[in-house]
Formats: sequence, structure tokens, C-alpha cells
Amino acid sequence: MWQALHEELEPLGLSVVTVALDLDPDKARRWIERAAPTHPSLVDSDHRVDELLGISNVPMAVWIDETGTLVRPAEGAAVQPSPFAAMEITDEMPERLRAVLHEFKQMPETGPAYRAAIVDWAERGAESRFAMSPDEVVAASQPRSADHSRAAACFELGIAAERRGDHPAAMAWWKQAHALFPENWTYKRQAWTLESTPDGADSDKAQEVQDTYGTSWSDEFLATGGANYTVIPQL
Amino acid sequence: MLLDSLDLTAEAFAGAAGWVAKPEGMCKGDSCVPVPGTVGDDGGLDVAAVAERLGMALVADDDAGIWALGPESGGRALTTATVPPIELPDIDGNPFDLTAMHGRKVLLVAWASW
Repeated sequence: MWQALHEELEPLGLSVVTVALDLDPDKARRWIERAAPTHPSLVDSDHRVDELLGISNVPMAVWIDETGTLVRPAEGAAVQPSPFAAMEITDEMPERLRAVLHEFKQMPETGPAYRAAIVDWAERGAESRFAMSPDEVVAASQPRSADHSRAAACFELGIAAERRGDHPAAMAWWKQAHALFPENWTYKRQAWTLESTPDGADSDKAQEVQDTYGTSWSDEFLATGGANYTVIPQL
Repeated sequence: MLLDSLDLTAEAFAGAAGWVAKPEGMCKGDSCVPVPGTVGDDGGLDVAAVAERLGMALVADDDAGIWALGPESGGRALTTATVPPIELPDIDGNPFDLTAMHGRKVLLVAWASW
């Protein structure tokens, strides 16, 4: 997907740079090898861009101009129509699935418009109405509270503990980060994905982690609401 | 950022946190916050005082003997539109400095396997 966008826009002077937020770079490897990117494809196993740029879920993106200045802050980077928006909710579906799909439908459909905005910026540069001034970019970035700062510190101590091989300590730090900054899905999804299922299999995308974190992706998605799952681009 | 000691020079702090001690205060990009008396004559920095003034959470892991310093807070996620120094490896470990992209527009996309 990103490789195709890169090929389309490279002649206009725009390059895609992807950053994989994976504690274990090898988890990202097969995706990268399958995409065979010709653009820079980087790995941020320490989650540094989370706090440097305000990334709080994936995919999210920032726009950087030719001088190294941000012209749009971190925002949800869907670039195609949501597959869930068109999905019909039927009575035959399990109740939980119906509830999750209902919440997905609460997310505004921004993919096509966001993609069109990227193309407009590639073509028109600073003249694009989607390119912000430095002051606008700072003002449009997400609020950062003292709790968010503490959450970042706790998440980082969790990574350090995990790298020491002390998984219980890592989980304790990550639980603190999750409680301090519930809207940060990066902290949650990264931590949960390290848990195995009760029968020993790798955690899947649904990330049902009741046994370890006492929660699950769908519990938290339903509690936070579809509209808060990512930062909605204001175009 | 992780710290294994709170004895830090202003120079080391600037390298790690991006906040540079200047006569007008602690500065990052074009934004400066006055923090009087936090830099000693020996260039040492009162990390706890700077952290408090900038709203950076300083959290100790006593068992591991390390600290983590969260980002500045009390405002927005970005304090400046200037992209901070970002150097990250590719999947084979080759470092890539984002400033190599100067002269081109960049769509920087964060994704993950999870």
C-alpha cells in the first residue's frame, strides 16, 4: 500500500518513509520483505517516535516539507475506504462482533479524503490548503498532559525491563502507562501482542489478554469508542 | 529517555532530550522556557528541577536503578514544527538519518506488525 503510494508520488518529489513500531524487529521483517519497499523503511523498536511526534496508534503519519519542517501533525493515516464501513451488521452475528462493527461505523470515513490531500500536497507543496504553518501544526497536534508524560516514562521503563528479561516488571510498568494514557493504543497493542493465548499460541490481532492484562482489544475499543480509536484528520 | 544517573551535564541533556540550555532558558527549536539556576558553574544540570519546570515526568525504577524522563507536557504533543533529530535503522540494522530526505517532501508513516 505505502510502496504503491510512494511510486505514484515520487515523481512529484514526495517520498514515503515507513517506521515500524515493533519491540521485536523480526516481527516486522516479513511484512517489509513482502512489500519490497524502494522508500526508506525503518524500524523503531524503542518506540521513540511515539513521543517525538505524538504517534498514538497505527497507522498514523506526519507530513514533513523539504526543509525538515512539519506541515501536518500526527494523525490517522487511513488512505483507502474502511472495509468496515460497508460491512452490513446482521442479526446472525455474535453480539460482540455487532457491537464492535457498530463502533467502527462511528469512525468518520477519512481514507479517500486523506489520500487526496496527500496527492494535493505532493502536487502543490506549500500552496496546498492542507499544508499547515508551523504555528498551526503545533496547535493542531494532540494535547499532552502530565499524565501523558508519565505514561511515556512508564512505557519506556517497561521496554527496559522487557529487554532485561524481566517480563513481570515490564507488564507492571506497561499497565501504569495504559492507565495513565488510555487513548494511546500503541502502548496497549504493543504490550498485549507479547502475550500468548491460554493454549500457548501467539497472541492474535484480537488481542484477548484477559488472563494477563485483565482486558481485551474489544473491551477497550468498546469502552473508548470507535471515534477515539485514532486521531481523525481535520481536512 | 532513560537515565542511569541524574548527574548530567547540560550538553548531555541537550543531546538526549533536545532541550538546550541557553542564557534565556531551556530551548527546543524556537521555543524557550526560563529555568533560572538549573545549570551549575560546572555545566551540571539540575535534572529534577528542569524536569519539573518543563513538565517532564521523572520516574524512577528503584529495582533497576534507572530513571525514565517523559516528554515535556502541559501543552501540545509538539512544541515546535521543526522535526527533531531522528536516526533509525532499517530492518538490516543500517542507520538512516531522516535529514537525508531534505529537499523532498516526506510522508512519514508509523505502522506495526501488531
